[in-house]
Amino acid sequence: MSHLIHIELDRLEGSLLRILGLVERRGFNIDGAELYDLGEDKRGLSLTVRPRDLSRSLDILGLQIDRLYGIKRLASDPRGQAAPSPTEPKAKINA
Amino acid sequence: MSNQPTGAQLVISTLKALGVETLFGYPGGAIMPIYDALAGSGLKHILVRHEQGAAFAADAYARATGSVGVCMATSGPGATNLITGIANAYMDSVPVVCITGQVATHLMGTDGFQEVDILGICLPIVKHSWLVRDPADIPAILAEAFAIAAEGRPGPVLVDIPKDVAAAHVAVSSAASFPEWTPPAPDAGAIKAAEKLIEQAKHPLLYIGGGVEIGDASKEVRDLVARTGIPAVSTLKGIGTLPTTADLYLGMLGMHGTRAANIAVQDADLLIALGARFDDRATGKLNAFAPNAKIIHADIDPAEINKLRKADVAIVGDLKKTIAGLNPKMPAIQKWVEKCKADKWEHRFKYNAPGKGIYAPGLLKSLSEKAGDKFIAACDVGQHQMWVAQHCEFAHNRAHLTSGGSGAMGYGLPAGVGAKLAKPDHHVVTISGDGSFMMNIQEMATLNRYNIPLKIVLLDNSSLGLVRQWQELFYQENYSEIDLSDNPDFVEVAKAFGLSAFRITHRHEVEGALDKLLAAEGPTLLHVLIDPRENVWPLVPPGASNAEMMEERWDEPLDSY
Repeated sequence: MSHLIHIELDRLEGSLLRILGLVERRGFNIDGAELYDLGEDKRGLSLTVRPRDLSRSLDILGLQIDRLYGIKRLASDPRGQAAPSPTEPKAKINA
Repeated sequence: MSNQPTGAQLVISTLKALGVETLFGYPGGAIMPIYDALAGSGLKHILVRHEQGAAFAADAYARATGSVGVCMATSGPGATNLITGIANAYMDSVPVVCITGQVATHLMGTDGFQEVDILGICLPIVKHSWLVRDPADIPAILAEAFAIAAEGRPGPVLVDIPKDVAAAHVAVSSAASFPEWTPPAPDAGAIKAAEKLIEQAKHPLLYIGGGVEIGDASKEVRDLVARTGIPAVSTLKGIGTLPTTADLYLGMLGMHGTRAANIAVQDADLLIALGARFDDRATGKLNAFAPNAKIIHADIDPAEINKLRKADVAIVGDLKKTIAGLNPKMPAIQKWVEKCKADKWEHRFKYNAPGKGIYAPGLLKSLSEKAGDKFIAACDVGQHQMWVAQHCEFAHNRAHLTSGGSGAMGYGLPAGVGAKLAKPDHHVVTISGDGSFMMNIQEMATLNRYNIPLKIVLLDNSSLGLVRQWQELFYQENYSEIDLSDNPDFVEVAKAFGLSAFRITHRHEVEGALDKLLAAEGPTLLHVLIDPRENVWPLVPPGASNAEMMEERWDEPLDSY
């Protein structure tokens, strides 16, 4: 099952690599990624991720993302688009 | 010449403002402006002989003191030589700030001489990292780096500074401060829920991890044990939180844990995990770990909760307050406690090994007893590391310095350098094996240069003992690349570096040698020849449950080396 995660990044060197690396390292495939400007030295990133095996928890991944500095999980799409349900098939996700 | 400070001078003045007194490093081309500013600054810089030594020494300095360790290296190979040390600090949550020189900004991305993308390389093994583009940012970045390294769950932070940024003059003179971080208070409702579970338990057990030491909550754990009477086991990094001689301490759990500790975990109906992360070396086969137990999991890091084992009650926040806040009305657990104590007695380690050869566990136990309350062990990695964990007595935490999560051979000697500088009034002893010792043997030159009176016990079995043991037990005695019988004469090597050194080969020499070692004034190496066939017992086989421990067999003398 795929999941959509919305993230706000400080515009700092390495921040994009930091988040992408963490997601893959913690056992998730990245099936889609969309990077966009949020102004004020912030960028938005929406990632479609899929666990490589059943032992990988999206909740734990979220908490591991929260540990990063200059990177923040968002509850919904910061561009105001309706966020797809986490259970929606990947094909319907704008990624 | 400008009156404005350079970026490099800001590095040094900020380090001093942040309270740094000692740092470890090795100069080179791209970091020369910072070493130029370092000269005459009053900071105590320890020139190691390999950058990995700087990272490990800074790590041990941090572990021994609880403050942030600092290391420096130049760009390219200097920076990459830090990586094992950075990964080590990341895995064991040690606060270290690593400052690296980088090639000048106009050369970055051109494959310049000694250029490497150290920021990119280190992303998975640092808590945070910066590439400094503007020298005016240096005070604020360093202040934030120290704060991030130390706060919450600590870890390493990298600050990469290009040469031109370090050399540039800038109109900033004072160090920035960073607001002090206060750990979040635990949720009162979660503490109440935990108390309720404890009150319902018949077989409660404390599972003490390294987070207790990091959270400075050792006293609170001791008080909790005193007021509840709940027995305890610890992880490798939790050793010393309770005195290892404590009545209710059952020893280390896991792969090379004590049988009493592993039996207690398997029989427990409530496991109270304090700053522990359910590491595979502690749990063995995860789905067979503590099969009958409910779990209370207290940790500063919410990402550890439910990561490997679901918690029935999770308490996220300051461990000191969490543990101090636990005041359950204790149920009757005396039968359980008596059983734990009986198991501890029945399965206690014995030191009457047959033969006349030196029995390393006995030597290590005696060493720690002779060194007393001021004993600090800086361990390397291998069989000797497990023997230290099993057999040495520790009266307090921050005394058992060991590469836990990373298992980095070569840690012991530079860690001893860092720990002895941090705690000069303690009996700091590096305990190493012949494989590990060779990985950072050059740091004996550091001991000699600064006359650091570190003591070294080198347990030499002329092989990679732990690998050999696994090949013996799990690879049908197919011994592959573990023979180190062509080691150099370690006594002569140590003497060539300017250390005192001597060797023992028989058991009757042990006590006198340990007395001589601990009484020696300067850096001294004790070379101990042990039987290559000696194994670490007990042992949980890989992939097995902690209930399935293999035991020692003394069926032939171990003195035929």
